[in-house]
Amino acid sequence: MPTVHALMMKAAGVLLALTTAAAAQDYPTKPVRLIVPFPPGGFNDIVARMIGTQLSDRLGKQVVVDNRTGAGGVVGTELAAHAPNDGYTLLIASLAITINPWFHKTSYDAVKSFAPVALLATAPNVISIQPDLPLKSVKDLIAMAKERPGKLQYASAGVGSFMHMGPELFKQMAKVDILHVPFRGAGPALIDVMGGNTHMSFASVPSSITHFRSSKLRALGVGSLKRNGLIPDVPTIDESGLPGYEFSNWIGIVAPAGTPAAIVTRLHKDLSAIQDSPELKKQFANEGAEAVRMSSAEYGKFIASETARWGRVVKKGGIKPQ
Amino acid sequence: MDLFNNLIFGFSEALSLQNLLYCFIGVLVGTLIGVLPGIGPLGTIAILLPITYGVPPVAAMIMLAGIYYGAQYGGSTTAILVNLPGETSAVVTCIDGHQMAQQGRAGPALAIAAIGSFFAGTVGTLLIALFGPPLADVALKFGAPEYFSLMLMGLVAAAVLAQGDMVKSIAMVVMGLLLGIIGTDVNSGVQRFSFGFFELTDGIGFIVVAVGVFAIGEIVSNLGEAQERRVLANKVSHLFPTLQDLKKSWGPILRGTGIGCFFGVLPGTGPSIASFSSYMLEKKVAKNPDEFGRGAIQGVAGPEAANNADAQCKFIPMLTLGLPASGVMALMLGALTIQGIQPGPQVMTQKPELFWGLIASMWIGNLLLVVLNLPLIGLWVKLLQVPYRLLFPAIMAFSAIGVFSVNNSAFEIHLTALFGVLGFIWMRLGFPLAPMLLGFVLGPMMEEYLRRAMLMSGGDPSVFITRPISLAFIIATILILVVMVAPSVRKQREAFTD
Repeated sequence: MPTVHALMMKAAGVLLALTTAAAAQDYPTKPVRLIVPFPPGGFNDIVARMIGTQLSDRLGKQVVVDNRTGAGGVVGTELAAHAPNDGYTLLIASLAITINPWFHKTSYDAVKSFAPVALLATAPNVISIQPDLPLKSVKDLIAMAKERPGKLQYASAGVGSFMHMGPELFKQMAKVDILHVPFRGAGPALIDVMGGNTHMSFASVPSSITHFRSSKLRALGVGSLKRNGLIPDVPTIDESGLPGYEFSNWIGIVAPAGTPAAIVTRLHKDLSAIQDSPELKKQFANEGAEAVRMSSAEYGKFIASETARWGRVVKKGGIKPQ
Repeated sequence: MDLFNNLIFGFSEALSLQNLLYCFIGVLVGTLIGVLPGIGPLGTIAILLPITYGVPPVAAMIMLAGIYYGAQYGGSTTAILVNLPGETSAVVTCIDGHQMAQQGRAGPALAIAAIGSFFAGTVGTLLIALFGPPLADVALKFGAPEYFSLMLMGLVAAAVLAQGDMVKSIAMVVMGLLLGIIGTDVNSGVQRFSFGFFELTDGIGFIVVAVGVFAIGEIVSNLGEAQERRVLANKVSHLFPTLQDLKKSWGPILRGTGIGCFFGVLPGTGPSIASFSSYMLEKKVAKNPDEFGRGAIQGVAGPEAANNADAQCKFIPMLTLGLPASGVMALMLGALTIQGIQPGPQVMTQKPELFWGLIASMWIGNLLLVVLNLPLIGLWVKLLQVPYRLLFPAIMAFSAIGVFSVNNSAFEIHLTALFGVLGFIWMRLGFPLAPMLLGFVLGPMMEEYLRRAMLMSGGDPSVFITRPISLAFIIATILILVVMVAPSVRKQREAFTD
């Protein structure tokens, strides 16, 4: 009797494999949903819409951008994590999915809940300071912070935002004490630095660059290991006084875990081609972002190492609320 | 002369057939979504953003800006007609505007709202053209202590809003403060009263509360007395304001414009504070403060002018510094970025056609809105005669769509229904709703600024009096308290000696 049972199981397994293979071959037969866990108008949304248009052409079915905002990206991310893993739900992922689980009781796991599809680009942060601070380099900044522990203040876009994690990593690596002043969003945080209230901010390059040009802010160093194309005169933090410091936001696409490998491969191929399109190249250049190529497997390892890294920073800094 | 040339240049840009068309589409769409409850400019601009890819930058910005200030116009229409704020800033307009409609004076109320908005829009536009960059620098001087002292002044002055029962008003302000606490604490990142719902981590949306207590609550509570209300609605005396109405209104419009410009320039003040402040001021300076809450035209003219001036001046930090003062402005910045333009001060010199064209289009748009709205007043007023059995389901449906469109979240529709029940109960018990909304808006901001000021000063409260701007607001607050308390104390003493 058990042999019959095993046989039936096997047959069912083969049948299942066949149907999924067939499903992957036909894919897509209906519109694909691309969830953006942030409001329209931001970098994630703009990239999502550009990819959505081009992916629609390549797949022959509409890719619908769906903004599901809330809780710093948790709401949209959870929705994607629990969506059917049939290839018809994709998520725009960013650094936030690896940080949020350390701050919220998320029902998703950044590594286990998702099938990595493709990393698209990375965008560094940049230390922006009040122009009249007597600092010339990151080295000076570290010296001043050591001289006046707890007195220098940095403005962030909120607890757990990348504008919070960048300086937190900086604090731990440089062994300095600078005070975190959280705001609601990057805009108000930068206004406060420009108004001469807080001393600095670790913001994204595009949000600060116009203020560098009008001398309302001054750039001290960028977080990537290579200088940034938008502000080539600004040294990296690594070369300007804190060797080894690397901090960039990133953007990529993931699908719910268990999405058929054939579909992931197909999407990875299409997305790699879209990465080369002039529209996306121009948009990345505008944002000071750099296109990155990785296989899906490498991307998965990248997400895992980022998640672990922020877990260490959050634990070491003792910054987890509750 | 430079300004003159620039404006001519701007008008030549904005009056091109294409730009004029986009301006018209913008204000028309804006008016419509303003009229529809819950659907705000934020959601609409978000939906239309992808469409602007293929449109030239000037036309795209002109259209999006048109939607934004068109919505401010439209928002007052539903506020006046059906006591339902189509826009955040129209809450105050409900108070007296709807009273006027009930007395058959919906026409004059709508007209004065349009006229006040047009005047304020004109002044706001001029202000951007003349003093944009220096004003933006002033706004930068406002840090956490300044904002806190400013809000403190606002909340103290809010006591004037209290109609009738003082205790009930204060209770409702506190209720608003409590509701405002829900969500993530900005300073520590701790969740407060979110009960594990991620939907609550960003707090309850203003639209949810406003649509819930006003739209749903009002409808449910009206169903019991529909007969009585219909009679009032049919008694439309005249469509346009009388000379006396205009005489009463020009002062409030001037003052409202001033208040609106002031708050508009400061990026850290949310919406509706300008209109609340204007209402309080008008009630304070009025000869017959008792008329307020019973259909005083000043209570429509002032706040409407204030809210339009505020909306217009929010462009100053955006255009001159590249800083978003509100969600809508953040979207506009996004629209610029999509077009490959780095927003910021250099836009003015590198893309003068965009800067001056947009400014000129704002004035044209405001003019279009008046032209569009005044003839429509007759039509809007007729809307009041639509039987409730048709009107109410329509309002409910549009409200639900509007609430959903903010975050694409069904959770918020349920929350709105809950606030509908609360609104009904409050209304039946005679608790005023406006003070609750004021507490809801101001409370979280005050807390945020207070705690940030204390964090930055290392716990030293003297920051509030050592910084000159903050000190000025503190002194003004004390003056308001003295002025408000003195008469009632005198009255009490007189009553005592009698």
